[in-house]
Amino acid sequence: MEEKTIISFANVAAAYDNATEVLSDVSFNISSGAFYFLSGASGAGKTTLLRLIYQLHKPLRGQIKLFGKNTAELTRDDIAMLRHKMAIVFQEYSLLSHMTVFDNIALPLRVRGIAESKVKKLVAKVLDWVGLGKYADVKPMELSGGQQQRVSVARAIIVQPAILLADEPTGNLDDENASRLMELFIQMNKLFGTTIILATHNKKLMDTYKFPVIHVENHRVGFVGKSSNVIPDLKKVWKGPTPKNYFTELSKQFDDIGNA
Amino acid sequence: MRTKTVFSLVREQSVFMTAIMGLLTFLAVMALGIAIAIGTGAARWNTQWDLFATVQVTNQKNESDVAKILNTNNAKIETIREISNDEMLQLMRPWVSGGGVLKNYLPKMWEVRFKSESDLNAVSDKIAPYGRVLTHADALQTPISAGWKMMIIAGLILALTLGAITVCVSYIARNTAMLHKRELEILNQIGATDSFVARQMQIIVARICVVSCLVGFLFAIPVLMLIISSAHSARVGLMAMLTISVGGWVCLALMPFAITIFAIWMTRRTTIKILQKE
Repeated sequence: MEEKTIISFANVAAAYDNATEVLSDVSFNISSGAFYFLSGASGAGKTTLLRLIYQLHKPLRGQIKLFGKNTAELTRDDIAMLRHKMAIVFQEYSLLSHMTVFDNIALPLRVRGIAESKVKKLVAKVLDWVGLGKYADVKPMELSGGQQQRVSVARAIIVQPAILLADEPTGNLDDENASRLMELFIQMNKLFGTTIILATHNKKLMDTYKFPVIHVENHRVGFVGKSSNVIPDLKKVWKGPTPKNYFTELSKQFDDIGNA
Repeated sequence: MRTKTVFSLVREQSVFMTAIMGLLTFLAVMALGIAIAIGTGAARWNTQWDLFATVQVTNQKNESDVAKILNTNNAKIETIREISNDEMLQLMRPWVSGGGVLKNYLPKMWEVRFKSESDLNAVSDKIAPYGRVLTHADALQTPISAGWKMMIIAGLILALTLGAITVCVSYIARNTAMLHKRELEILNQIGATDSFVARQMQIIVARICVVSCLVGFLFAIPVLMLIISSAHSARVGLMAMLTISVGGWVCLALMPFAITIFAIWMTRRTTIKILQKE
C-alpha cells in the first residue's frame, strides 16, 4: 500500500472563544492507512483534535493540511467536499431523532446524491452487519445507547471514508460489541486502507490492539508506540467467530455505483 | 422519484406558513386583479372619449364658417349633434339662474364624434380660427386620473404583499434554521454543502407554497368577480368600465406560480446567508 501524508498539523493551536488554549503547538503527520488510538484525560483536548481534523473547529493558529490541501484556503463547499472523504463517529451519536434508523444511515449517501435503489441496498447491508436489521424503521430514541452508537458507526462507515475519526465509539458498548466494532474498524483499515483515529479511555482496548497512540496531555500531543500500518492478525486478537466479509460485499456495491 | 427531505418543518411552522402564504396569495391576486380591472377600465374609458369633442363658437359671426367646415368634413365625422339652447340652459342651470343675462351669451355648440384621431386633429386645426374644439378626454381628466391613482394604490398593495411574502419566507427560513440547528450541524458534519441544505429547505417551502398559493388563488377569484360585477351594477362612469381581459386572467393565474418561485428563490437566498454566517 502506498503511504503518503493524509493529515498534517504544523504548530496548530486551538481555543474556544479565544480563551485558554486547549491545544498548543501541535505538529504531526499521519500517513494514509494508519490506525491510531487517541488517548488522554477527560478535557485534555481529544475531541478538539478530532474536530480540528474534521474541520468542525478552526485553529487559532498554525496550518492543517488534509489530503495535501491547506484547509485555511478552502471554501465552505470545498470543506463539504473534503468531508465526503471523511467520517466521524461522535460520543453523543449525532443522530436525527425525527428520522428512522434507515434514514439516518442513508443520510450521507443521499447528501452525496446516490440513487435511492443503491441507497436501499447499501443501508440494508450495513444494518445487517451492525445487527440492527429489524430496527430499520425505528426512531433512534427508541434504541438503547449501544444500539444508537452502532447506528452512528453504520452511518460513518457506509460511505467507505478515507479517514475515519471516532470519539469514544466503544464508550456505550459491552465488551462483545466493543470487540465487534474494533473488528469492523480493523477490516476497514486493512481492506480499504482507511486512516483511523479512535479516541478512547479504554486501556484494555489499547492493550489488546497494539496500535500506536496519540496521547494528549497538557495541551500538547505526543506519540506512544510505533507509527506504522502493521495490523494485528484478527484471528489472534479476536476470539469470536470469523466475521462475514462485510466489506468485500460493500466494496462490490460501491463499485456498482462507480460503474452506474 | 420522490425527493427525500432530510429535515422538515415542525407542524406549527407548516400550518403557520400555509395559512400566511395562502392569505398573502389571496391579497396579491386581489391587488393585481383590481389593478388590472381598473387599468383596463381606464383604458376603455379613455378610448371611448378620445374621439369625442365639443365644438364651441362664442362669436355669432363665426357660426356659419364653423358649420361650413363641419359640413365639408362630413367624411371625417362619425356622428354630429347640435346642442340646443334648452339643453345648454339645463346643463348650466346653477349658473344661469333667475332672469340671468348669461343666456343671451350662450355659445353655439356641437357634440362631434370623429372617425379617427387624425380626423379630429385635422378638423380642429381648421376650426381653430373661428372657435374652440374641446376633446371629452381632456374634460374627463379628473375621473381618468382617479382611475390611474386607484391602480397605483392597488400596485402599492401588491408590492406590500410581495414584501410581506419576503419577510414571511425569510422569517420561516431563519426560524427553521434556529429550530433545526442540530440537524443543520449534523448535515454539515456528513458533508452537506450549503446548496444541498438550501435545496432541502426549498423542497419544503415549494410543497407548502403550491398548496397555499392554490388555495389563496381559488378564494381570490370569486371575490374579484364579485367586486367587478358589483362595480358594473353601479353603472357609474369608470366603475362600469372595470373588467379583466383574457390576458389579465392569464396574468392572475400566473401570480401563484410567480409567488411560489419567488418564495423558493427567497428561501435559498436566506438559507445560504444563514449558513454562511455560522
